[in-house]
Order: sequence, then C-alpha cells, then structure tokens
Amino acid sequence: MKNVSGDLKKVEEELKKLLPAEDVLTFPFCTERGLNCTVIFADPLTDKELLGDQVVRPLLQFEGKPTAEEISKKLTFTEQRKQKKLETLAEEILAGNPVLLWEGMDEGIIVGTKKVFVRGITEPPTDIAIKGPREGFIEDVKINTSLVRKRFKSENLRIEFVKVGKISKTFVAVCYLEGTSEENVVKEVKEKLSKIDIDYIPDSSYLTHFLASRPKSLTKQVGATEKPDIFCAKIAEGRVGILVDGSPIALTVPYLLVEDFQSSEDYFVPSYRATFTRLLRLFALFLAIYIPAFYVAAQLFKLQLFPVKLLLTIAGSIRDLPFSPSLEMLLVLVILEILNEASIRMPKYVGMALSVVGALVLGETAVSAGFVSTPAIIIIAFSGIGLYAVPNLIEVTSVVRLGMLLVAGSVGTYGIILATGFILFYLVTEDCFGTPLVAPFSPLVGHDLKDSLVKYNLRSLDIRPKTLKSKNKRRLNRE
Amino acid sequence: MNKISSRQLYFFLAAVAPVGKLILLPVTLAHYAANDLLFPAAINFFLQAGVIALVLLLAKNGLSLGELLQKTFGKIGAKIILTIFFAFFFYAALCPLIEQKLFVQSIFYDTLPSVVTFSSFFIFSAYLCAKPLSSYGRIWDILAPVAFVGFVGIIALAAGNMDFGALNPVGAAGIEKITQGAAFTNYWFFDSAILLTLLGKIEYKRGMAWKGPLFYLLGAAAVMLFLAVFYGIFSEIAVRQQFAFAKIGKYSPAVGILGRIDYLFVFALSLVMAFYSALPLQAGIDCLRQAYGSPAGKLLPALASVAVNIIMLVLTVFFDYRFAEVRRFVGEMLFWVFPIFTLLLPALSPLLKLRVRKREVKTS
Repeated sequence: MKNVSGDLKKVEEELKKLLPAEDVLTFPFCTERGLNCTVIFADPLTDKELLGDQVVRPLLQFEGKPTAEEISKKLTFTEQRKQKKLETLAEEILAGNPVLLWEGMDEGIIVGTKKVFVRGITEPPTDIAIKGPREGFIEDVKINTSLVRKRFKSENLRIEFVKVGKISKTFVAVCYLEGTSEENVVKEVKEKLSKIDIDYIPDSSYLTHFLASRPKSLTKQVGATEKPDIFCAKIAEGRVGILVDGSPIALTVPYLLVEDFQSSEDYFVPSYRATFTRLLRLFALFLAIYIPAFYVAAQLFKLQLFPVKLLLTIAGSIRDLPFSPSLEMLLVLVILEILNEASIRMPKYVGMALSVVGALVLGETAVSAGFVSTPAIIIIAFSGIGLYAVPNLIEVTSVVRLGMLLVAGSVGTYGIILATGFILFYLVTEDCFGTPLVAPFSPLVGHDLKDSLVKYNLRSLDIRPKTLKSKNKRRLNRE
Repeated sequence: MNKISSRQLYFFLAAVAPVGKLILLPVTLAHYAANDLLFPAAINFFLQAGVIALVLLLAKNGLSLGELLQKTFGKIGAKIILTIFFAFFFYAALCPLIEQKLFVQSIFYDTLPSVVTFSSFFIFSAYLCAKPLSSYGRIWDILAPVAFVGFVGIIALAAGNMDFGALNPVGAAGIEKITQGAAFTNYWFFDSAILLTLLGKIEYKRGMAWKGPLFYLLGAAAVMLFLAVFYGIFSEIAVRQQFAFAKIGKYSPAVGILGRIDYLFVFALSLVMAFYSALPLQAGIDCLRQAYGSPAGKLLPALASVAVNIIMLVLTVFFDYRFAEVRRFVGEMLFWVFPIFTLLLPALSPLLKLRVRKREVKTS
C-alpha cells in the first residue's frame, strides 16, 4: 500500500489513477497565505454545502504550519480522521467522505461530510403493533446502529463492522452483548461473514444464505425483524444481531421456530392475553395448512370425517361440479396465490380494485357458473387469512399447504399424517448455530416454555432462555 | 445430533412404545385369553420391564452395542452378531407393518384403496431410516404429548360405554390359555431389543435402570386400561373387533353431535404409530451401520434404508391377503424366536460389560 507524499500534484494524480470515475471530483483552492489545498470527493455522495462551510471556508484564513494536526484544529467539522494510505483514502472517497490534501502534507484528512439519503424512521409495515414502540429500522446501517445503541447504554454492547461484497463493500454490523451472547455463536457469525465471497449484497436476506448451517434447508435458519425493540430484546436474551447497510431488515441468530409465533405486542399486554393470541396464531396456522387437505381427503377417501349435516350441505354444493375435489381445491388455491401475488405488486388503488374483482366477481361468478363450490371458496379464503396469522413463515407455510393438498388428493388422510410426521422429523433434526430449531419443545426445555407458545408473567422470566446457553443467566432479580 | 436424554427415553417407554400395541394385540389377546386378556399382556410387560432394567444398566459405560460386542467377541464376531440382529429386526418389523397396512386400509379409506397406497409409508420410513437412531430422541419429545392426548381422548370417549363386569370371572380362561396368550403375542414386545441398539446413544443418568422400567410399566398400565375398556365394551364379540382403538370412541354421544371427533385422536395415535412401526427397521439398519459402516459415512445407511424398505414394501404387498398365515407362522410356530432376541440376549447383555472389564484388567 502506498502512502501519501508531500507533493500535492503527485498525490492527486495517484488518487485519480485509483479513482478514474467521472463523478469523483477535485476542488483545488488556495489559502490567503498561499497554501495550495485540494479536496477530492465523490460528487453524488458528498454534502458540498457542509464541505464548503465547515472545511474550505475555515481553511481560507489558515496561518499556521501546514501539518495535519494544525489543519485539523482549524476545521469546524467534528467527524474527521487522518490517514496516510492512499488506498484507504480512495475507499473513503467512494464511501462519500471527502479527503483534504495540501502541499507538504504527510497524511490526508478524511472529513465525514457524507450526504445521507434516508427516509424517516417509520413503523414497519410488516410488523405493526397496537401497543409498544413504533420505530422501525431504515436502510442506513449507522442510523440503525444508533437505534440499537439508544436502547443499550451499556459498555457491553459491541457493534463490530465488517465489509461484505467485493464490489458493493457493504457495511455489516455484528451486534452482541459481551458476556451475554454465546462466544461460539459470535465467533461463528464473524467467521461466516468473513468467508463470504460475493460481488454485491443488496439486502440482508442475501446474508441468510451464508449464515445458515444448512443453506439448502426448507426452513428458515435466521431470524429477521424490522423493529429495533424486537432486535434489542433478542440481543438481550443472548442472541447475535446483524445489521446490513441498505436493508431495513435486521437478522438474529440463533433462530428458534417459536420466535415467529411471538409478537412484540405480547410483551406489552397481560400474559394471559399474550398466551391466548400465541395459541390462536398456532391454531390459525394449523387450520390454514390442514383444512384444505382434510376437506379433499375426506371427500375422496373418507366421507365419515364430515358430520352428517355438513356432508349433506357439501353434497348439495359439489353436485355437477366438473372437477375432482383435489383439482377444484388446487384451482381455487392457485387463483388465490395469483391474486395475492398480483395485489402485492399492483399500485395501491388498482390493488384494491383487483381484490374486489378477485373476491366478488371471480368468486361469485365461478360458484354460480358451477366451476367451483362454495365450501371450496370458503375453505381457501379462511386458509388464506389463517396463513397470515404468522406472516414471517408465509414462504414456508404456503408451500407446505400446497404439498399437503397434493398428498391429500393422492394418498388421503394417511398421507397427511405421514407428511406431518415427515415435517416434524425434519424440523426436530434441524439445528441453527448449535441450537435446535424446535426448542424448547424438542428437546424439551421446561424453563424456556415460560416464553414460548405460552407467556408467563414478566417476573417469572427471570432467567435467560437456557436454549441460548448464555453465560449471564439471570436477567431479572425477583426481590 | 445430541444423545438421547433420559427424559426422551422415558417418553419413549411410557408413551410411544405402548401405542404400537393398540392395533391387533387386543383382539389377539381376546382370542387366546378372552376376559383374562390382561394377564398375558401383564406377563409380557413385566418380562420386558425386567429386561429393560438390565439393558439400561449397560448404558452407564456409554459404549454402543457394536463396541461392546467388538470388545468381547472381536471385530468379526461383532459383525456376525450385529448382522443377526439386523435380520431379527427385519423379521420383527414384518407383522407390525402388515398389521399397520391393514389398519390403514380399513380405517382411513371408505373403499379398499390401491395396494400401493401404503407405499407412502415406506418413503417415510426410508427417510427415517437414513437418519441416525439418536435423532429419534427429539421426536419422542413431540410424540409423547401427542400420544397422551390421543390416548386420553379415545379413552374419554369410550369410557361411558364400557362395563368392567365383562372382565369377570377373573381367571376363567385358565393358566394354559393365559400362558398361550402370553407366548403367542410376544412378537409385539421387542422394546428391550430396540434399547440394545440405543446403547451408546443414551445420555446415562443415575437411577435410569429403575426409572426406565417404571416408565415402561406406566405405559403398560395405559395399554392394560385400554384392554379393559376394549373388553368392557365388546365383551364376547371382542375377538371380532379388529383395529378396535379406532372404533371404540364412535359410540360416544359427542360423536353424534359433533361428527367423528374420535378420528382426531385416532390420527394423533396413528402419527405416533407410524414412527414406532419404522423403529425396528431403523434399529436393523443401525446394526448394519455399526457392523459395516464408517461413522461418518452416509451412503451405507441411505442405500440400506432404501433397499430394506423396498423389500419390506414387496413383502407387505405379497402378504396382503395372507396375514393370518404370517401371524400364525411368526406368532405361533416360531414363537420361540422373539424371546431369544427380546428376553434372553438382552438379559445376558450385562455379561458383555463384565467380559469387557475383565479384558481391560488383563490388558492393563
């Protein structure tokens, strides 16, 4: 690595060689005493007004010795660093931080007048809570880390930055509580991040593929949240958090499946209410996956599963249908998935119209035309709603529902049972950073059940989850 | 994968193992011992519990069956014995699997389904068999509450229609019928042999040797309760009530109002049963793995599990309409085979430990 020399022209040329891009500009100026200076900056990323006011203007009256120390004192901008290495200076310019150079320098000064394009901190659309904090992460890692730091005024909070991506050089912040997070997990996260060899990281979801213990796994292996309060709560429990520049979605490891049945609001309402809603989410998900499958299996293989009156109603509505029960259900399910996919991507107002067309026109007409039966529409509509009771698992559960439907249509109820067994076995054999995915249910950890699908009173949650193997076990003193 | 914890083992003994005895064991016991069906069941359960205690004594040193055999009989001796055990488990799996097939065909379908319907079980089983036996521990944590809910639900629905008076007079069947019943139904009781293959995969805890049998007897008590309810409901026609556990709940008044809610409990128990039925095959493949496979190798278990399950699929299809003959052959003609592997050899297993110790003393 080359160092800067006292020859301003030469350093300028060398930096220009390293940064030949047209949007890297040079601003030469001269102080009243005749000292030649230059600021090199990336045009779109630099706040030029700030640069002019706090860097160039104070220097115009500079009278002292041209050393980095003296010049630095003259600048009125607080965020500045000295650096000798040319490559580092070039990297900083590309990151949006201008570099100040002058005749006779022995090192350059990096000034942090980066222009920050950020949206406001708003409530994330994927995680809305009626009670509790409403802040959400945004796309800037520095602001996101500040949201974390704001919540932990502790010297034990460690935020370590690493750069990932050969071209993007994306900043990734590894956040953990020293003495609380398991050391091996921290080490493994850092190791995995350092081994990533990729050009570009557009979002944190890219990192999940590299952090997963089994990258080809069908299940989620890394937790994700958009809310700093949830992120911090998980770190406080002993997990390791990962923030990625450019992504509002923060990652946490180790991930437990039960996390997705919990909501931040559960901690701000009475424990009996939290328990009820968690069980309700599980029940809704269970019904959403199984009801279409059982409906098809019962019609095809075991009519006894329906109570007699319901059977008569169903028999009336499926008479003269042109499709088999499984094909009918599959058709309605595929239409629902298409509607869902289209309405998410459509502009807001068109999306509303589309849902009216989908729900009323398509559904109503399909039933009256005799293509599909009313029970099939009701079941799929309910299933569609039920799946969203646990939105973080929707990618997996919608596929599982489809799989169950196919199994039910071909093998019947016994197929559903075997598929359930297969899923259960698959889940219990999954580990994430040495932590079983289905803990605390399998392996059963009695203590951790207090905050799983049931939620005990806050005072009962005095010990950190044993599953996470934190050294700092106690988090609340009951006395 | 972690070792099987003591709790997971107790869950298996108390909740999972008994479920495999609910399909055709009750009707077979009723056939041999009529209203005294509890006695032959109790004899088998107590014998198993005793042998389980002896096997669990071996778990203390943390050695697997293969290692124990190798230290005692050398590499070749161990390979031969493990291969024999593999053959036994394959043989032991046959009847329960045909039984399960008939149960599935009878209960899950209104009309007789195609012979290949049950083949989905073997896909499931092949997947399980390819995984190490120790991974079963975690699933027992999940299956135990499922079995509990299923069992309690069925008994609760059935209890209102039963009459314990049907079990009287006690001892009417006579000792000969009772012992015959115990001998000819022993092929449902291979849990001690399964435990032998789990050696080395169990995390030993103090008191396991007596707690294990105790939990097994707890599960046995549940089966006995089921047998009593079963005979209490069907009485003299019990011998004709195959797959009774899927039927005894349907006479409840709740079923008339809500529909066949008893099926929810039957499904729960069927889920547990599917895992239990695959266990002998998996134990057999584990014996092969211990005998011939390298610890890290995955190819042998995968190939073996596919091969074994395909062969078993062919056999279950072949014997589909000959179950009575198969049952008579396994249960009556060759009834002495099971006690050798499920009682005698496991009971002698603590001697392996003694021999290992003697050898270690000599070499030191």
